[in-house]
Amino acid sequence: MRYLRLILFVLIVLVVMAVPLALVLARSYFLAPTAQPVKAQPIQFPHSVHVQAVGLDCTYCHQNAMTSAQATLPPLELCMQCHKIIPTQGRPDLEKLVAAFQQGQPILWNKVHQLPDHTHFVHSVHLSFGFQCSTCHGDVGAMGKPGVKQVRDLRMGDCITCHQQNGARTDCSVCHY
Amino acid sequence: MRRRDFLKVAATSATGAVLFAGCGRIGDGVPESEFKLAQPVFHPNDWLYRDAWFATAAPPEQGGYGLIVRVFEGRAKKVDGNPDFPGIYGKSDARAQALVQELYHPDRLSGARRATSRGSEQFEAFPWDSALQEVTQILREEGGERAVLITGRLSASQAAIVAAFQKVTGIRHAVLEPDEFVVLRTAIRQLFGVSTLPIPDLANAHFLLNFSADFLHGWIAPVALAHAYGEFRQGKRGQRGLYYHVGPRLSGTAANADRWFPIIPGSEGLVALAIAQVLSTEGKVPQDRFGPYLTALGLDAPRLASEYTPERVAPATGLSAEQIREIAHALVEHQPAVVIAGTSAAAATNGLFNLVATFGLNWLLGSVNQPGGLLLNPDPPLPDLRVPDDAILPLRGWTELFEQIRAGTISTVLVYRANPVYALPSASGVREALQAAKHVVSFSPFLDETTTLADLVLPDQAWLEQWGLSVPDPGPGFAAVAIQQPVVKPFLDARAFGDVLLDLIRLLGQEPPWSTQEEATKALALQLRSLGRGSIPATNDKEFLVTLQARGGWWDEQSRATGSAPSAAAVQPREPAFAGEQNQFPLVLHPYPLPTLGYGELAHLPWLQGLPEPISTNVWQTWIEVSQATADELGLHTGDVVRVLTPQGDVELPVYVNPATQPGVIAIPFGQGHTAYTRYAEGRGVNPVTLLAPETDADAGTFAWAATRCRIEKTGRRARLARFEGMVPAFQLEEFPIVRVTAPKA
Repeated sequence: MRYLRLILFVLIVLVVMAVPLALVLARSYFLAPTAQPVKAQPIQFPHSVHVQAVGLDCTYCHQNAMTSAQATLPPLELCMQCHKIIPTQGRPDLEKLVAAFQQGQPILWNKVHQLPDHTHFVHSVHLSFGFQCSTCHGDVGAMGKPGVKQVRDLRMGDCITCHQQNGARTDCSVCHY
Repeated sequence: MRRRDFLKVAATSATGAVLFAGCGRIGDGVPESEFKLAQPVFHPNDWLYRDAWFATAAPPEQGGYGLIVRVFEGRAKKVDGNPDFPGIYGKSDARAQALVQELYHPDRLSGARRATSRGSEQFEAFPWDSALQEVTQILREEGGERAVLITGRLSASQAAIVAAFQKVTGIRHAVLEPDEFVVLRTAIRQLFGVSTLPIPDLANAHFLLNFSADFLHGWIAPVALAHAYGEFRQGKRGQRGLYYHVGPRLSGTAANADRWFPIIPGSEGLVALAIAQVLSTEGKVPQDRFGPYLTALGLDAPRLASEYTPERVAPATGLSAEQIREIAHALVEHQPAVVIAGTSAAAATNGLFNLVATFGLNWLLGSVNQPGGLLLNPDPPLPDLRVPDDAILPLRGWTELFEQIRAGTISTVLVYRANPVYALPSASGVREALQAAKHVVSFSPFLDETTTLADLVLPDQAWLEQWGLSVPDPGPGFAAVAIQQPVVKPFLDARAFGDVLLDLIRLLGQEPPWSTQEEATKALALQLRSLGRGSIPATNDKEFLVTLQARGGWWDEQSRATGSAPSAAAVQPREPAFAGEQNQFPLVLHPYPLPTLGYGELAHLPWLQGLPEPISTNVWQTWIEVSQATADELGLHTGDVVRVLTPQGDVELPVYVNPATQPGVIAIPFGQGHTAYTRYAEGRGVNPVTLLAPETDADAGTFAWAATRCRIEKTGRRARLARFEGMVPAFQLEEFPIVRVTAPKA
């Protein structure tokens, strides 16, 4: 009985502290990139049509993934190689594509896989090591409309874990400027 | 507090803090465009050909030398020196590398604008065609003779276009350069008979005597001179160049010297005269070499021998007679030697005398146009590429010009990449003049202090978006021209200044000599080919232009300047004068341009704001450097806020205690204190010009910004100084030998 009040007090303090801790964890979970809804894009681009139905390889469009830091978006003129003969009538997204090309206007996409500014990620190094695009990006080829969703955390803990598992360097300057 | 209350408060505050922090989403506060990814319309060049580097040129105020720019996905990513271009060996400096920040600056102006009312700083969008029509109408109604075009230093092709514009409109052209360079140009013209700046051949010199010029971190050619300095020190096996620095402040450049001789500000010329006296009386130099030197200074040999002995001069300089003799002996014992001077030496009330007396020592040493000496540079290879000397105004000229504007003699002011409202002292009347002018049109790509007083803004393109030809000044010792070409497509709705002037000529009903700035550039470049000499052999015009663009420039190593000795007195010896009574203002305020921000023209670029000043390592602010003795006397520590009072005004600034600062001197950097000029410059620090008395050089009429006295008072407050160096005091690790600093053998 002598220590009961003390034990009770400690328990209550722990419960009280657990509430904000739970909220922090919940925030981390719900605001994680993977928990975000699919970002709205200027054009609802169905990767599934291009990859699964047409059979294009990722690097057909993302031409620099194997050779440089950025995978890069395909220039509109590459899209138009096919889409100049594909009817646009009744397809508002295709109409947007053709209009942008004819007006010479770049399309501004909302970036899905956004790393912080103080990190650099080199696509070519990871692909040369044998990783597939889907290792980080998931099965984008199966993602249809409305667009691409981030399926992997891609935050620092994720990067370090993967580096450790694969024997890659983990010192700061590997990723940070 | 009861236990129950404690638990309630703890739970509420912890939960509240978490909920507060949890509101919003990751990435909030980031500009809308930050997470955008542009899908290009066409294949960028670098995707097709890999690693695209385009040659272009540095802006004229940075020296106009050759650059290369790496372009990735149609965006300029990295600027570096052109390895082919003479004199710089592929090197560049931070100012050049920050050009990409000018290009992609978030506060760059896009589209023409009209002020809702003069000085309101509120502008509304205005169609380009209407803006051009309005400027044309102004020039028609007011007449070009009643208008003035104020510019910063122009590139060579811009100078040609401005000359064509002047021919059609009759407009007056006035160039705003830092006054130290106006003094330098005047001194060089009078001493050596050339209108271009000389370059010291440091790479081949054995001894350098420098009077105050901050040549490694700014001044006239930091890139070329920093490389040459490396050769000077380490490029010759077994022969390390010896460098003596004479100046009032231990700048980053002075800190590189073997010996630093601290002097009273503005006494550089007197030291030089005493050196000449020693060389003359001791017979160290043939007497026939003294002719040009004595002529330029209006002296004769007996007067030099009697009035400028080291003993007589020493008290006015802060050096001992023995030290002056030591410098003089070193000059003749380590040949070839070269003497340069600048920065604060040119900004005293006797600035022109200082530079004539110091640079003139090169005549005594026989080092003019000699290997390891002072190389003169020839005029630009084409007359059209020359900026007329009389367009470059000293402070006295500006004051007269602004008086004419206030009086209504000049009604229209056009301003291109010059910011006189910030750069000139208020006593010049610049603000009142612009407020009184009937029309003010600015071509600035940023809303700087002068542009906020404009009626119309027709923003210029960024430097990396434009065509042009640039004549490096100083050149490498022979004729050289760099070509400037757009490395990216124009990023915003802006128009090149030259294009706008040519459009105005057309709208005024005249036929311009070239239709665009690009055409002017190429036409002038082809005139180089017609000279039939130079580094680009080509069988036709196209081959010449393609080679020129690929190599980044044209040069002719055979085309050199001969110069001429002075035939009349350029200046009289005089001691420096200071504004403010010594008993009221016992200290000398010694401003200095920052290596990165210069005189404030680059304060809008955050990379440069963040680069530490070499001595204090301070960034992003204004501070004053105080000597340890002064700090001890007043009980000051680094971070204490003091009030700096001059006859002109007072400000409060944090102190940086520097053991290397001379007692009696308070150093303050130029560069900050903008009241406009983008988010990175506005409201940051203090513009030292507001503290400086509008003293002028009696001979050159230039602004003597190193001629004001001051005093400091404690405020009792403290401020944190953002600086790179450690906050922990340095201490000696006893187990390691103490590094001994010894004087080199002179």
